[in-house]
Amino acid sequence: MLLITCPHCGPRAQLEFVYERTVDSVVQPHTDPTEAMERLFTRANPRGLDDEIWRHTFGCRAWLVMTRHRTTHAIAAIRAAGPEALP
Amino acid sequence: MTDITITALPAAPLHVFEIWSNPAAVANRFETALGRSLPVLGRALQLPAMRLIRYEPAVWLVEGEATGLAEILGSDGSLTAIGGGLVRVRLRGADWRSLLMEGGVFDAESKTFAPGCSAATVIDHINVRLFVESEDVCLAYVPLSYAHDMIHFWTVAAKALP
Amino acid sequence: MNGPQRGGVAGTIRFSFDGKPLLARPGDTLAAALLANRIGLVARSFKYHRPRGIMAAGVEEPNALVTVGTSGRSEPNTRATDVFVYDGMVARSQNRWPNLSFDVGSVLGLAAKALPAGFYYKTFFGSAKRWMFYEWFIRRAAGLGDAPTAADPDRFSQRAVFYDVLVVGAGPAGLAAALAAAEAGERVILVEQDSVLAPSLVRDPQDLDPAWAEATAARIGELGGRILLRTTAAGYWDDNLITLSQRLAEPGEPPAGGIAQRLWHVRAKRVVLATGALERPLAFAHNDRPGVMLSQAVRTYVRRFGVVPGQRVIIATNNDDAYLTAAALRDAGAEVVAVLETRPAPAGASSGFTVHNDTMPLTTNGARHHLREVSARVDGKIVRWQADLLAMSGGFTPVVHLHMQAGGAALDWDDASQSFLPGAARQNVVSVGAAASVAPVGPTPPPENPAKAFIDFQNDVSLGDVDLAWAEGYRSVEHLKRYTTLGMATDQGKTSNMAALGRLAEKQGVAIPEAGLTTFRPPYTPVTMGLLAGRIERDAGAHLRRLALFDVHQARQPIWQPLGYWQRPRAYPQGAETLAEAALREGRSVRTAVGMTDVSTLAKFEVSGPDAVQQLELVCATTVGKLAVGRGRYTFMLREDGLVFDDGTVWRLAEDRYLLTSSTGGADRMAVHLSYVRQFLCPQFRVSVVNVQEHYAGIAVAGPTAKAVLAGLIGEEVPRHMSAVRASIAGIPVLVLAASYSGERAFEVYAEASLAEPVWNACEAEVTAQGGCLYGMEAMEFLRIEKGHLVVGGEIDGRLTPHDLALDKMLNKAGGYIGAAGLTRPALTAPGRRQLVGLEAIAGTIPEGAMLVTAPGQPADGHVTAAALRVLESGSIALGQLVDGFARHGEELIATSPTRNQSAAVRVVAPHFYDTAGERYRD
Repeated sequence: MLLITCPHCGPRAQLEFVYERTVDSVVQPHTDPTEAMERLFTRANPRGLDDEIWRHTFGCRAWLVMTRHRTTHAIAAIRAAGPEALP
Repeated sequence: MTDITITALPAAPLHVFEIWSNPAAVANRFETALGRSLPVLGRALQLPAMRLIRYEPAVWLVEGEATGLAEILGSDGSLTAIGGGLVRVRLRGADWRSLLMEGGVFDAESKTFAPGCSAATVIDHINVRLFVESEDVCLAYVPLSYAHDMIHFWTVAAKALP
Repeated sequence: MNGPQRGGVAGTIRFSFDGKPLLARPGDTLAAALLANRIGLVARSFKYHRPRGIMAAGVEEPNALVTVGTSGRSEPNTRATDVFVYDGMVARSQNRWPNLSFDVGSVLGLAAKALPAGFYYKTFFGSAKRWMFYEWFIRRAAGLGDAPTAADPDRFSQRAVFYDVLVVGAGPAGLAAALAAAEAGERVILVEQDSVLAPSLVRDPQDLDPAWAEATAARIGELGGRILLRTTAAGYWDDNLITLSQRLAEPGEPPAGGIAQRLWHVRAKRVVLATGALERPLAFAHNDRPGVMLSQAVRTYVRRFGVVPGQRVIIATNNDDAYLTAAALRDAGAEVVAVLETRPAPAGASSGFTVHNDTMPLTTNGARHHLREVSARVDGKIVRWQADLLAMSGGFTPVVHLHMQAGGAALDWDDASQSFLPGAARQNVVSVGAAASVAPVGPTPPPENPAKAFIDFQNDVSLGDVDLAWAEGYRSVEHLKRYTTLGMATDQGKTSNMAALGRLAEKQGVAIPEAGLTTFRPPYTPVTMGLLAGRIERDAGAHLRRLALFDVHQARQPIWQPLGYWQRPRAYPQGAETLAEAALREGRSVRTAVGMTDVSTLAKFEVSGPDAVQQLELVCATTVGKLAVGRGRYTFMLREDGLVFDDGTVWRLAEDRYLLTSSTGGADRMAVHLSYVRQFLCPQFRVSVVNVQEHYAGIAVAGPTAKAVLAGLIGEEVPRHMSAVRASIAGIPVLVLAASYSGERAFEVYAEASLAEPVWNACEAEVTAQGGCLYGMEAMEFLRIEKGHLVVGGEIDGRLTPHDLALDKMLNKAGGYIGAAGLTRPALTAPGRRQLVGLEAIAGTIPEGAMLVTAPGQPADGHVTAAALRVLESGSIALGQLVDGFARHGEELIATSPTRNQSAAVRVVAPHFYDTAGERYRD
């Protein structure tokens, strides 16, 4: 079980987080249908670092973008996603 | 003998206080009106008639009389009542930190989790929000539908702490 | 020659082995107590039923597996060396019939040539039916202990802790490391699988006074460190998370403190592995006979337990350590007949024992299941010695399991000790003491007869089996492992892997490191299922969520039904009513008068703010923008691929405030979806989406007289269908939504959950006064199926489009909702899709979950999603999905459920069986 450093809460057990999807599969609203389906169904799936969307679902419920190595699980970077908030 | 008492407190008014725009302006209005800053994540603000726990980046849980806050939010956010769905459980006694490690994943035994701090985590598969009221008292906000099982779990676990 | 013996006073602890009452001394392992009682034969081997004794003194023991405890506490496959005797302990041997000394299965040993490596693969092929026939015999012949069938009465705990340093192993190296860390001000936890500190110092007090261990531990405690005995670091996971299994009671022992075992999740900044080393056996013919033991184990029994495992002893070794055993035996009064040294002279010359160099045992002979004779080739001639104990040492294997489980870790080959030592690691972990370096060894010559030279004692794998696998073309270590089952037993090859690797490398003609290694997997020693699955309370593994009005329902004695996460009333039977009778009575009450039910579990979200409409129009595939304040409408939601995943209603409560309801089962998924749209896709929205599922308790009142009931309760004009009003019932503020799921005029009354009980009571009084009753989930299901309303998880199963569900006319023509792009995919409008249909039985009762076929034996054209009985009339009806179903109304099919062995002839109809014009819920 990974120890994930939430940008808001600090290091927390993976159990509090839920993996949602990779960044390259995000479809913004009102995207052209062909492009939308391309993004939805085609993944880069690299053997190495990938940008993943996780949510601290059972903590602060914030969305995160995690750059994670997909063979070693090493987390290279984590940034908060979501509306602008107070410091 | 384990030093801990587990009590379900009577229902209290609870509201979600959410900011969706101009956070700095809202913070200023809050400070002007109440003389204190909005608490940061992981912290709570205790006022005589109200407690604010920041539990999402843009959301605070308000316990107590919240009507004045609507004016502070103005058109930059809103208040929504949620008090029916949460049970406040008070853990009183020196061993509450040890108890929270049972079935948990969050370091409640850390000295940095001091009075005034709050955290949301999972205990025995149940998502709870914790607020350290004092070295002797921790409050847990437990979803109503899980409250019976959570209290039962704590009651049994408290008898067999290491 | 008398076999094992213990002098001095008899023990005081009563226990039994195979029904025989025996005595043990405090601190005895079961193995020590058995040897003290002169019991050398303790088990039969897995495959050949060979007689086996105790070989080791620690967790690596491959032979002495026993079942300890009775009934639900019975724990099979417990190592006799890893359980401490307690008063009243009941231990039994395994894998023998009728008893240990006369075992019918041992004829398999005589037929060993017929049970070679890969025996199962070679013999049992053919149809699955034949395999099931074979399996019955195999399971009886080969095996371990029996799993208990009674429920485990014990409680288990799972606990998290955070430390600066975790030290695994409380030997001298571990104690020193823990003390150093504690003195440096770090928070330390030190764990030891044994019941005593530094068991190696009890064995070898010449190294360091055992009192040092006690003093060091006391000092660590003073500095705030925590020390756990009987605690095994079983698994090493990502980010320095280590799981510990702690025995608070011995296997089979009723726990004194309430819980039997505790699973610790330790997150440590740094891990120190002081896990020591395991001694290796030597491979020679019949090296598995009771009386053949590991050298250090013999020394442990002599020094720690006061048991001398034999009186005439042969020592076989390739290293210096075994001479300490020889000395310990001599000091205890045993006769060391000879030391067989694999190393050339002058190794052992100054030991004072009779040493034969350049040799090792050839074979052993026995009598009455115990060692009697050892032979070896000395100076070219075979020499035989009478002996009742053979202590062997093939060198030492550092315990690198945790180091390797940590992932991304290397092993470095050390030629002098012929062992792998822990190398660089990705995680913050270091090995110390014998886990990091062991003494050099001499050569280990191959046995003359490899067929009976066992290396994996627990799975009965000999060097001959390794040779056979090689001869049959199995080259890689992974294939060798699977073909021979080497290292796959409960001891995971702790004593066997190095011998097998050496043999494989020799065959491959490479050095051992090049032969490769198999993966080290958790747990290091077996853990019980209870530890992993059991909780502090036995039935609390998966919580069933309670309704806010649980006590109210409970007082009315419903049939409870677990539905998803929730426990909900299924029906409220009266008198001797069956479930079906009660459900039909309740349903008829709704159709003819009025009924009320608890709908609190529905997902509910309050969406407020100037951009609330934008948020909702993204999530809902129907129009929301034109909704007037105080009005609501049905809606459904699509995934990004265009398929329907949920449905519900949306209500405009105020200018900028909406209430969205959706399915109970999809509530968590909808919460995530709404949050994803709001927080991730559209962070600029000025909107607040709050989950109020549990804030409101909901009561549905439905039926022809529901309007009168509501009017009486709120004392004002009731809202028309799909309108909302705020009112008060029993002095409690409520929100009344006029919406119907049953097909009758109906209202949903929402009150703050903590205040809902008086509201329920007022409603129930009024409903009863109007001749109505409570109804549960079963009646609700009948009513909605008859009406053709959809259920998420039934009709809405994530595979159908709005068109397939006949919802397409409600789609937002302007588009812009999530899923609109997905709907443009050509396959979603191609022929051959499953579509929603109704089914009515021509004959028989439609089975739940049945497949729809045109004729028996034909592939399924669809399936029944929900079946029911008509509420007022008789007859069996159902909703279902059918390929091109819209065009097949009137067609006759067979609904067949092979698993229930039921079928019915059905006719395809429109999915509305009641009030198709929808007149009943309008005023």
